[in-house]
Amino acid sequence: MISDADIILIKEPKLSAADKLYLTQIAEGVKVTLNHLFFKPKITVEYPEEKRQLRVDNYRGVHRLNRDPDDRVACVACFMCETACPAHCIHIVADESPWDDREKYPEQFDIDELRCIYCGMCEEACPVDAIELTTEYDMVGHSRDEMIFDKEKLLSVYDQTKDVKPRKNPKISGYEGTGDRAKYDQLRQRLEEIVEKSSPDEANGGTSEGNKL
Amino acid sequence: MSSMVPYILYVLFASGGAAIYLAMPKPSGSQRQAALILGVSVIAGLMGLMSMHFVAPNSNNLFFYLFAGVAVLAAGRVVTHPEPTYSAVYFALVILSVAVLLVIQRAEFLAVALIIIYAGAILVTYAFVIMLAQQSGAVATNTQAREPMMAILVSFVIAGAIAGKIEQLDAVPVRLQGQAVTQATDVADTVATLDENDSRSGHTRAIGSLMFGPYLIVVELSGILLLIAMVGAIAISRKQVPIEDTGEPRLPVGQIGREAPPF
Amino acid sequence: MLSWLENQAVFSAVLSLLLIGGIMTSVAYCIYFERKISAWIQDRQGPNRVGFLGLFGNFHFWGLGQPLADGAKFLLKEDIIPSRVDKPLFILAPAISMVIALIGFVVIPWGGFYMLGDTLLSVQVANPDVGLLYVLGVGSMGVYGVVLGGWASNNKYSMYGAVRATAQMLSYEIPMGIAILIVVLACGELRLEEIVAGQVGGNGLWNIVLHPVAFLILLITLFAETNRAPFDLAEAEQELVGGFHTEYSAMKFAMFFLGEYVHMITGSAFICVLFLGGWELSFFGIGPAFPGTGIEDTGLISVLIKIGVLSVKVAFFIFLFMLVRWTLPRFRFDQLMRLAWKGLIPISLGLLILTVLGVYMGWQRSVIYNLGGEIAIVAATLGVVVLANKPVSGRQENMPALGQPLGG
Repeated sequence: MISDADIILIKEPKLSAADKLYLTQIAEGVKVTLNHLFFKPKITVEYPEEKRQLRVDNYRGVHRLNRDPDDRVACVACFMCETACPAHCIHIVADESPWDDREKYPEQFDIDELRCIYCGMCEEACPVDAIELTTEYDMVGHSRDEMIFDKEKLLSVYDQTKDVKPRKNPKISGYEGTGDRAKYDQLRQRLEEIVEKSSPDEANGGTSEGNKL
Repeated sequence: MSSMVPYILYVLFASGGAAIYLAMPKPSGSQRQAALILGVSVIAGLMGLMSMHFVAPNSNNLFFYLFAGVAVLAAGRVVTHPEPTYSAVYFALVILSVAVLLVIQRAEFLAVALIIIYAGAILVTYAFVIMLAQQSGAVATNTQAREPMMAILVSFVIAGAIAGKIEQLDAVPVRLQGQAVTQATDVADTVATLDENDSRSGHTRAIGSLMFGPYLIVVELSGILLLIAMVGAIAISRKQVPIEDTGEPRLPVGQIGREAPPF
Repeated sequence: MLSWLENQAVFSAVLSLLLIGGIMTSVAYCIYFERKISAWIQDRQGPNRVGFLGLFGNFHFWGLGQPLADGAKFLLKEDIIPSRVDKPLFILAPAISMVIALIGFVVIPWGGFYMLGDTLLSVQVANPDVGLLYVLGVGSMGVYGVVLGGWASNNKYSMYGAVRATAQMLSYEIPMGIAILIVVLACGELRLEEIVAGQVGGNGLWNIVLHPVAFLILLITLFAETNRAPFDLAEAEQELVGGFHTEYSAMKFAMFFLGEYVHMITGSAFICVLFLGGWELSFFGIGPAFPGTGIEDTGLISVLIKIGVLSVKVAFFIFLFMLVRWTLPRFRFDQLMRLAWKGLIPISLGLLILTVLGVYMGWQRSVIYNLGGEIAIVAATLGVVVLANKPVSGRQENMPALGQPLGG
């Protein structure tokens, strides 16, 4: 029930004689629409041929699995992303790594792109920045199965997008990727030094444990 | 032989009346199939009689027979259909068929006037009222004819009385006879009524000069009559609707809410 | 070779077939342009994907294949007949709507006369003695499709749509008839071909110069008769779902839809013939007609030019219809009725008296008399409105005096 106090009485506008003829008002309106019809630029674009600039750089689109400089999959099959995923769309099968520098590697790595809610939690959770969301948003498929991206597909997404969006963590770029354990440890130490130096939160007593490698 | 014609007509009309009676919606249910057979045979009989005695046999009469048949059948349905909406639609069909018959007689103005006035204005209003009045479905008592026997008897006695004089039709001007019909149903003429020589002297012009010449007073009088009827209708139907006193009285404008300028 | 055509009946039959084809195609493209224009007005691109089966690679022809796709879609969609509708009338209604819109074309003179061999053929399907009245008669039947469809749907929204449409059409038919009557009186002729002939350059001015107010009234009533915005109350989406065609789907809906556009084209052609000289090509009938387009020019090229001229004029009106639709908001129902009964009908009656007087005095061709009179009538009407100084909607005027109860 509307109370009397809520009632707002709006005075009707007084119209001039020309306005009461309606036609002048119609002419005004038609002037506006004609202007839009012929002269104003279009806001929408011819989509597939012409794509709009994304308004944000950190748009969360399709996933990719990064490669390390050795062109191996960067993932260490730690299951952090699978655990963090709220939609349960990541499925990893881990196996013993054939390389010296890590214990495990993903035998299988599947992401159900239809189930994913693109929240970016996997990206946050990954300790080695192996999984990242790209800015690609137009992925299509003919079936549901086709939209479950496996390891090869995710790696190929990386290959296609690495020029547009380089791998996020630049600190690891000094790693030559020879498979040499000693060199890896050396690099690792250098990296931690850099991180300590460049993290002001630590000095302020901030809780930036998560930012550490 | 020709002296037999009125009696044949009486028989035909009586069977037509019986057909209508059978088709009437009644509490005991109507005998639709029997009515249809009887009705169609009556129409066929009438047409046969007509083609033998009144209308010159000519294949061009096809349009006349077609639309006359449609008109009679549709008129039957107007009377016998249990749903008023359908009656209205069938009535529109009657009007259109009759308009076609008038076009065949080259009375185009009359045909179009019939359509505009009856099919276009009166019937739409009528259909409108029926639909508004029957939104919750037809009332059971309304689906039956009240006095079918009496109504049919009266109307077909009148029709029979006219039929008794049918032989004197020969004295009626040529236009009503088959000859006129055959002339006008010349297909080329009806499809494209394009006459080079009478483009400026059409029927409309003739009707106009008659109506506003010899019959001026009649036209004006009927116009005034219609005006009076319209004023009367407005006077009767328009009533002052009292403002009902529902709820509590409102506070003055200054005290309810606040006033705002437009936009 | 074409000797079999040298008969008006045969020619008319061929012409009507051509017209139905041409009109149905232009209706399909009207729908495309309606979507395009609405998109452009709203700074969008509009339909732009459907080309011609990809025959031309990735070039889509600005979506010009869209009408074909639309038609195929309408034909292939599931045609739902709800279980509790009145089936015969439900099926009949869209057919009536379509047929009545189409048969109005019969009397439109498309291109004067055509001399084929020794026969002078009229480029018009039929030229009855009552041409204009025929158009009125057909127009008055147009409401049947809407009324029957709305009633048969057994749906209260459909019913409200039908009720609104009927009241609207009945009201706007009156000023429409009077506006047409003004032309009839001024020309002294009911045949459309003759009305055009009277406006050909050299013969006389276009009727729009002599009767601009009558032209405006006819234009406004045409908007109402075709149920187009701002008079589309019968299908007001915000209030009535879809109005009278709420329950219709697939091709039955398409027939209502096509009927509306056909009606638009007929109406535009009609208004062109009455007020803009039909196929005539000159500047408002001032000065002689463009060479080769006079009444006496009956060659094939002249006829084609005339048909083209009328088509351009019709296209202009259809553009206007669309522009207005995407410009103006819808009327409220009381505003609609007031416009007809308190605005258009009194003005058109005034114009009628003016014209009758003009014809009686022999001034019906005088620009000064007609223009002056029309301006005086509009000014007088406006004066009455301004002097009365009533608010636009009458909403507050109808409120009870202060302190009185609001109910009722």
